Amino acid sequence: MEKMIVINYDKCIGCRTCEIVCSLTNEGRINPAEARINVVKHEEIGTNIPMLCQKCEEPACMAACPMRAITIDASLGTQIDYSKCIGCKMCILACPIGGVSLHPTNKKIIMCDLCQGDPQCVKLCPEQALEYVDISTLPLKRRREGVKKLAKFLEDIRT
Amino acid sequence: MNGYAGNILIVDLDDNSTQTISTQKYVQQFIGGRGVAVKLTYELTPKNIDALSAENVLTFMTGPLTGTLAPSSGRIDVVSKSPETKLLGGANAGGFFGPELKYAGYDGIVVAGKAASLVYIDIFNDEVEIKDAQHLSGKGVFDTVKALRQDDKDTQVACIGPAGEKLVNLSGIAFSIRNYAARCGLGAVMGSKNLKAITVRGTGGLSIAMPDQLKDIAEKMRECIKKMPSYQEYPEWHHKLFRILESDSKSFFGNYEDTAWKERFEAYENAEQFVKRAEFRSETCFGCPLRCWAYINVKDIGGAGIAACQGTLTSLVNFTKVKDFDEIWKAYLLCQDLGLDISGTSAITAYAMDLYSKGILGKSDADDSNLVFGNGNALLSIIEKIARREDLGDILADGVKKASEKMGKDAEKRAVYAKGGLELWLMEIRPFKGVALSCAVTDSGSHNRATYGLCEFYYKSMRKQAKAVAKNLVGTEEAAIPMKYEYKPKLVAIYENSHILADSFGVCSIPFMPVGLDLWGKAYTACTGRETSSMDLTIAAERIRTLERLFNIREGLSRKDDTISERLFNEPLKDGAWKGEVLDKEKFDEMIDAYYSLRGWDQEGKPKQETLKRLGLE
Repeated sequence: MEKMIVINYDKCIGCRTCEIVCSLTNEGRINPAEARINVVKHEEIGTNIPMLCQKCEEPACMAACPMRAITIDASLGTQIDYSKCIGCKMCILACPIGGVSLHPTNKKIIMCDLCQGDPQCVKLCPEQALEYVDISTLPLKRRREGVKKLAKFLEDIRT
Repeated sequence: MNGYAGNILIVDLDDNSTQTISTQKYVQQFIGGRGVAVKLTYELTPKNIDALSAENVLTFMTGPLTGTLAPSSGRIDVVSKSPETKLLGGANAGGFFGPELKYAGYDGIVVAGKAASLVYIDIFNDEVEIKDAQHLSGKGVFDTVKALRQDDKDTQVACIGPAGEKLVNLSGIAFSIRNYAARCGLGAVMGSKNLKAITVRGTGGLSIAMPDQLKDIAEKMRECIKKMPSYQEYPEWHHKLFRILESDSKSFFGNYEDTAWKERFEAYENAEQFVKRAEFRSETCFGCPLRCWAYINVKDIGGAGIAACQGTLTSLVNFTKVKDFDEIWKAYLLCQDLGLDISGTSAITAYAMDLYSKGILGKSDADDSNLVFGNGNALLSIIEKIARREDLGDILADGVKKASEKMGKDAEKRAVYAKGGLELWLMEIRPFKGVALSCAVTDSGSHNRATYGLCEFYYKSMRKQAKAVAKNLVGTEEAAIPMKYEYKPKLVAIYENSHILADSFGVCSIPFMPVGLDLWGKAYTACTGRETSSMDLTIAAERIRTLERLFNIREGLSRKDDTISERLFNEPLKDGAWKGEVLDKEKFDEMIDAYYSLRGWDQEGKPKQETLKRLGLE
């Protein structure tokens, strides 16, 4: 894995464009139930959190798959080999974050494949709540963002 | 059917029957959304019925772009005969209900009849059930939505609060806890049917004719939206709309009394301070980059956090002159929960405060509450009373026109409303001749359903843009000048067409004109596979507009009804940038003549035979 989709959930405005472009790209039609990404909303507390496969380094889905249909691609992470998949859904049960799902009509297992390195959800996100980031630069980038929050906190306690 | 779900669900609450009809036969002439809803309402509503009787029908309709990748496509249009105006009533809401309904397989829902006791309609794809809702009787919108989402948090809910159940003319239909089809008393229509809510979950999705083309076009459309001058400012409009209205000299305060309320800056400042101490996050509707909404939560005030709307918070302050924003926030939450149209409710509260301060309404009429401008407690108490039809609230609940008629001649003189008695939106209209015309000729709601964003609106603050838009639309920059009567009929007709197309496509009217009809037409073709042109679409808009008129003519409307309240013709503005401005009756009549003629209607406002023929409405 060289790059990953980073979720900046505090930037998400909940428009769900990611879901729509995902299903349109991968299924040729529009259906959030067929998307690899969904925005989980809690309207009463005003949160919108996009959720998708996080491309784990030690994937629970892969460990649970009895057919060895899930493998790790060096640059794109977990991938499903549909010639091996028998649709037992063990991967869905094993994933701790709901990253794997089931197509509502053809019952195929669906999982983000990073659009083969050009994730459309990232491209269309109007708020950069989704970013496709080089993993090696991620820690320092996050620390920089952390400092911004700290600066705000320091300002708050000073005033 | 590409782009469309393909079916319209018909629910008859008289006998609990459900059936579907094909959307297909309506789309060529009426596109979808508002267009198809008006057509169905025209077909299914008998002449001169009581809007709150079982014979009335309530239609929810999405458009071909609703729920697609086209930006700002979360809209649903709701149409019925209005109990407030007794004319065609319409309102349009954003949010997420419309897309979910389409994913469940329906372009719209028509509700007919009346249930024997309180029910809700539960839709999961092709399973449609009418369920008992008596346990939700009297419950607010927040609790209702929560209860109906208990089993599935992703359920979309349309519901009414106590105000709708009590048949309050100022009640709307809530979509989840945020968006509203607020105006024209549609909540009361839902209440009269004993229908508390509609819940929907859909997992079927939509077929799209040309996915790749849609992606390309949608990207161009999003770029246009991000170039809108207001795009950067939108996330702050909730507390800054005051100053924007001010910079356009559109504000008035109280019951259309003054435009230069001395303490207004203190009120604006309070709103800004309130937001600074709140938990605040930008939110938006389905597929929309605009961020018109913001989740706002201040601990210990109002007991809840909620997403706030730009216009309605401002409306509460400017009408009631309550400076304490804590009280305004409580009033906002209360209206949202009770199921009230905040525009109408704040207008009628200002009206009651005005009558009280002038002694037309006595202390006993006001139930001993000190109903003066600026009194936050009185505001909160009157909101409760309107929603529950208690005491004075029972009279006010009918809307400003009917209430004024009950309260005698002096009260009647103070009333301000658009055609049919609908309360106006929160801007002063005496200097804005286009808006005034629009309020008089509109056939399904006030001008925020007819001519949203008319270029005279922003003439003061963005003169260059306003002039450029006017020149582009009607060939002369002069059309943008608010006080000019000339060119306004043409401008109004063009904006009406644009608004009708937005409502019929199922997209938001705010970005509609900035994106431009050409791109919307292309998105329509990419979604549906149906070829169209700007000319075809304009003719469809004219057809829909004329059918709205035909509905009202059937109800007995004639030219004399195309007007707004007398006060705006005989009470010039006392102060502010437009001091002395008033509407001129003669010039107003000339505008109406010109408008009718542009629409192909005769001088009585009746569509001519040749117009009906041209539009295929014979």
